[in-house]
Amino acid sequence: MRKSFIMQTPSVLWFLAALALFTLSVTILSEFSGVDIISTSFVKTLGKTLCLCLIAVAMDVVWGYCGILSLGHFAFFGIGGYAIGMWLMYARTEGIVLTNMANQTIPATPQEISDAIGNQIFGVVGSSDFPLIWAFADSLTLQLLMVVLIPGLLALVFGWLAFRSRVTGVYLSILTQAMTLALSLYLFQNDSGLRGNNGLSGLQNIPGFETTSQATISIAFFWASALALALGYVFFAWVVSGKMGSVVAGIRDNEARVRFLGYHVEGYKLFIFTMTAVVAAIAGALYYPQAGIINPGEIAPIASIYLAVWVAIGGRGRLYGAVIGAAFVSLLSSWFTGGGAPAINLGFYTIQWTDWWLVLLGLSFVAVTLFFPKGIAGLFDYLVRK
Amino acid sequence: MDTLLEASGVSVTFDGFRAINNLTIQFAEAELRAIIGPNGAGKTTFMDIVTGKTRPDEGYVIWGDKSISLIGMSESQIAQEGIGRKFQKPTVFEAQTVRKNIAMALQNPRGPFDVLFYKKTKANGARIEEIAEEIGLTDSLTRIAGELSHGQKQWLEIGMLLAQNPRLLLVDEPAAGMTVEEREKTTDILRRAAKTRAVVVVEHDMEFVRRLDCKVTVLHEGSVLAEGSLDHVTSNQTVIDVYLGRSHA
Amino acid sequence: MHRILLPAILLVCSILPAQAQDLQLILQNHASEIAQPSRNSVHVALEDIMGSKLDNAPRFLERWADKGVWQEDATGLFYFGAAKSDALTLTDINTSAQSEAPTTGYSQLKPNGGVRRKIGTALVQFQLTDDDTARRETAVASIARRPSEEHLEPLLASIEDEPDAALKARKIQLANLLSASFGKTTEDRIAAINSLAGDTSIEARAVLNQILTVTTSAAKTLPNANIARTLDPMDAPIASYAQLVDADLALPLTAPDAIRTGLEANIEGGRVGGIPLIQLGTDEGRTKAYTALAATGTVPALVTTADRDAAVASHVFFETYAEPNTEITTAARTALTSVERKVGIAQSADLFLDGLSLASIYFLAAIGLAITFGVMGVINMAHGEFIMMGAYTGYVVQLFIPNYTLSLIVALPAAFAITFAAGVVMERLVIRHLYHRPLETLLATFGISIALQQLAKNIFGTQARPLTSPAWLDGAWVYSDVIQISYIRIAIFVLALIFLALILFVLKRTRLGLEVRAVTQNAGMAASMGINPHKINMLTFGFGSGIAGIAGVAIGLYAKVTSEMGADYIVQSFMTVVVGGVGNVWGTLAGASMIGFLQKGIEWLNPSNTLAAQTYMILFIILFIQFRPKGIVVLKGRAAGD
Repeated sequence: MRKSFIMQTPSVLWFLAALALFTLSVTILSEFSGVDIISTSFVKTLGKTLCLCLIAVAMDVVWGYCGILSLGHFAFFGIGGYAIGMWLMYARTEGIVLTNMANQTIPATPQEISDAIGNQIFGVVGSSDFPLIWAFADSLTLQLLMVVLIPGLLALVFGWLAFRSRVTGVYLSILTQAMTLALSLYLFQNDSGLRGNNGLSGLQNIPGFETTSQATISIAFFWASALALALGYVFFAWVVSGKMGSVVAGIRDNEARVRFLGYHVEGYKLFIFTMTAVVAAIAGALYYPQAGIINPGEIAPIASIYLAVWVAIGGRGRLYGAVIGAAFVSLLSSWFTGGGAPAINLGFYTIQWTDWWLVLLGLSFVAVTLFFPKGIAGLFDYLVRK
Repeated sequence: MDTLLEASGVSVTFDGFRAINNLTIQFAEAELRAIIGPNGAGKTTFMDIVTGKTRPDEGYVIWGDKSISLIGMSESQIAQEGIGRKFQKPTVFEAQTVRKNIAMALQNPRGPFDVLFYKKTKANGARIEEIAEEIGLTDSLTRIAGELSHGQKQWLEIGMLLAQNPRLLLVDEPAAGMTVEEREKTTDILRRAAKTRAVVVVEHDMEFVRRLDCKVTVLHEGSVLAEGSLDHVTSNQTVIDVYLGRSHA
Repeated sequence: MHRILLPAILLVCSILPAQAQDLQLILQNHASEIAQPSRNSVHVALEDIMGSKLDNAPRFLERWADKGVWQEDATGLFYFGAAKSDALTLTDINTSAQSEAPTTGYSQLKPNGGVRRKIGTALVQFQLTDDDTARRETAVASIARRPSEEHLEPLLASIEDEPDAALKARKIQLANLLSASFGKTTEDRIAAINSLAGDTSIEARAVLNQILTVTTSAAKTLPNANIARTLDPMDAPIASYAQLVDADLALPLTAPDAIRTGLEANIEGGRVGGIPLIQLGTDEGRTKAYTALAATGTVPALVTTADRDAAVASHVFFETYAEPNTEITTAARTALTSVERKVGIAQSADLFLDGLSLASIYFLAAIGLAITFGVMGVINMAHGEFIMMGAYTGYVVQLFIPNYTLSLIVALPAAFAITFAAGVVMERLVIRHLYHRPLETLLATFGISIALQQLAKNIFGTQARPLTSPAWLDGAWVYSDVIQISYIRIAIFVLALIFLALILFVLKRTRLGLEVRAVTQNAGMAASMGINPHKINMLTFGFGSGIAGIAGVAIGLYAKVTSEMGADYIVQSFMTVVVGGVGNVWGTLAGASMIGFLQKGIEWLNPSNTLAAQTYMILFIILFIQFRPKGIVVLKGRAAGD
């Protein structure tokens, strides 16, 4: 069945081929292969961009296909990052602590080790005790499970509450925004157990690979991100291509009709909402080890709105549109804000792009909404048809 | 004739306005019934109550051989019980093909995972062809529903209801905006459908109702005013008063 | 109470003999005491000086305390003196005649701190009865700052003849405070304490709390003292045990570090106390090894948690009042309970005022949003930026009009006009094309929001700009120590009321309002009746935006004006609208009240953590919407739509 599905949707094949080509080219041109045209830090930027493309695909499914404008999916992305970050930070600190303690004449007790790790991690927030949520931080397997389970459960509970009471449209958007705001405010507290506004840091150092160079690690994560994007893309393309796609699009276009056809609309929405939340979390779990640091500011409401912006600019209702939008806007954004774009001298005023990029982005977003509701992908379709 | 659906003593109030007032009505298996009545008589609200969109303040709605109460059930549960509803405005999924529209309505398991792992079968394919044939859209199966004419959309919606294989079909003003020719075809579809299931048609247009040639129920101010053949009810003085206004009486 | 004490004091004062009319003479009587005063005996001299009732006595006391009195070594006479290098300007104490002399032959009087305090107390007596009201007030204030026993009698003595009614009341209040602590008899003190029962001022509470000061201690058996209460040591065994250790009633618990150091110091051939090192990686192993060492006396005995609990259990822990008199502490406890109840009520009232002012702010911030959302079904994400625009308008107006009152009067309509225009432009250029696509509107207006925010940053910079309120809005209305509210917040409340009235008037009593309501309920029908819905939409959007501008000026007055200030209010504004119910002014009012009061309430429950308060409030709102998806005020029937 999978085969027939891929044959039926040539865009998936094209996408996979393009992604493979891209991944290979970046690998060959990277510092890792010795060619060193693409620096390690840029490989990381590209790897992070792939993760953003993955969450954009999830966003496209929930919004473009199912019509739920979630302004909270970055919360799931962040939770995924925090979940993996806890293990990374714990395991690395444990390694350092054990090395330090190895020289002691008397072997350390488990309590002493745990206290020392706690001190290292929570010293910045004036604490040394492990909060309950770190209970599984010493186990990679369990913490990887958390990456999927916690966002999944949160999405399930939140979605169940919201969909059950038929909260739709802008109300739902505001509600999801409130959810991510509540979460980020909570994490900003020092006693949240996740180091308050310091967040988790040093995540680029992978425990067990201390001697491996960042060039290698960056390529490994780049490949992992590409693989995740490929799998996520194929999975969602499969979900939206069949009858599920019909029902979900039906819910977007006419919820009542679907309901009177006997479909339990809330169940479908919940399924899509939770599925996409889990994929967003996986994207986050791959993103933050490449970023090196995660803090509550990452999941502020604005991040989720930008996610919607990417998908809208890329083109809603087309998975490749979401990928194009996320890659295009986020790379362009870092180019402009990073000072890469040349300033324009008007004689009486010099346009510095670090100052004016957001104005440009905001206005082009308005323009896209007004004039190109199908986004870049719509343009793409138009050209292909010609 | 067995009773399929029985509503008794149903009332519902919106902001002090009694939309349905102690309404009692019954439909039998395989019956074609027309419900007529002036604006605000409660026709659409009655459909809302039966299909679970509106919850009545009092009264019972009893369904089927097992006498299940429909009150408190969700729209989708009621639809799965075998009640199909067609809206006043044609509501089809305009972004999808006619085939997909019908396929979605086919009587199959409705759970998300059933749908996710749904495989196309020959039987389903044949059923889609059969329904397309019935509503005269065989040639349009691959067309996007949004491109269809108004009448075709109405038929497609009826086709989707048929695909659900319901025991009771509630049809709200199917003939509105149709040409004479289209109306005739619609009448045929509905009469054929009524051979195997109950079909209840809400309609303004007396000509259309006459063509349906069935038992007629007149609703007025939320309750049943008269019931019987069209000739019978149209000769009823109260019905004439209601339709023409008391000053003419 | 002063009725009892006062006659007694007056009596004492009247018996004091008016010995002499010459201050120098009095001073000479106590010459040695004045030249070499001691804290314990100076009161004799002071009593005589004060008893003289001479006009220059206070001046002498002031100068004495300020080290401004010199004694001629030869004659022993006292002078007021001011030294400049070696030269001394002398002023005769009686006649004020001035003369010059070298510093040699004169000694400066340098009373020590204890004596100076005594002098100060004596001075207060004079000041309390001074003819100048300002000086009397200063004296009362200085007593209130440093209440002490010796002030009580002069204070009481001065009450009867106090001409100023307010000052008299204050003196009585202060006398009560002093009597509660320093009254001569138990009855006096209890009477004073009882009179404090209705007083919610901070100083009254301080006095009562001071009387009720307790010290916690531990002993084998309960001693005979004014015991406040006995404690259950197991509530906090660690703290209780620390107390025992502090009181030398027990040995400190052997800390893990101490065990470790003890073990490390006694490694012999890879073993400690016969236990191989490898086994010391567990608590059990270490305890075993340490016990073995302790048995040989190499380390102090191990004090375990069990030992600690046993020691704690064999002692009583209790709180003792510093005040030995049980009657007084009981009365103070009763008085404090009653005061605290009153304070509680006052705090609720204060909390209510706080909530009311926050609700006013939310109402102002949200009402514009509610109007556009209700009438047009349009969510305007740039609403917060309109608030910001209003605030910056106020700031710019102040740059040109330095008079704060005038600039405020100009800024309010200017902010309305500018944001109204911005709203109309936005409606014409963007919103108009997106009707019936609410999610797209949300995103497009978000695009405008980030553009406007960045634009403001480019123009005004990132640092906060001040929007100064006129002087008459400074300060706060103080009802009591507990209930007070700043004038700006009152002004915002009044502004919110004005806007509520204005909006209700416009919607219910004007042609525009009628048309707006018509379009809200049924746009198609309204259009067919000759109402131009485009015009209505445009005006409504402008009106909603204009109100945001005015809200911006109001918010800018008490918060800083920054390019991000709009973003701070936008989510709360949405919450207000959603919780209140869409399309209804009263709904917005209800939503703003609920959120305002709720937020203040949660902050009150958890004052240390405003972040947590916001988190809980949002969670509450999410849950609230579950149960009332359409808000507090629901439009029913067909008009509500689906």
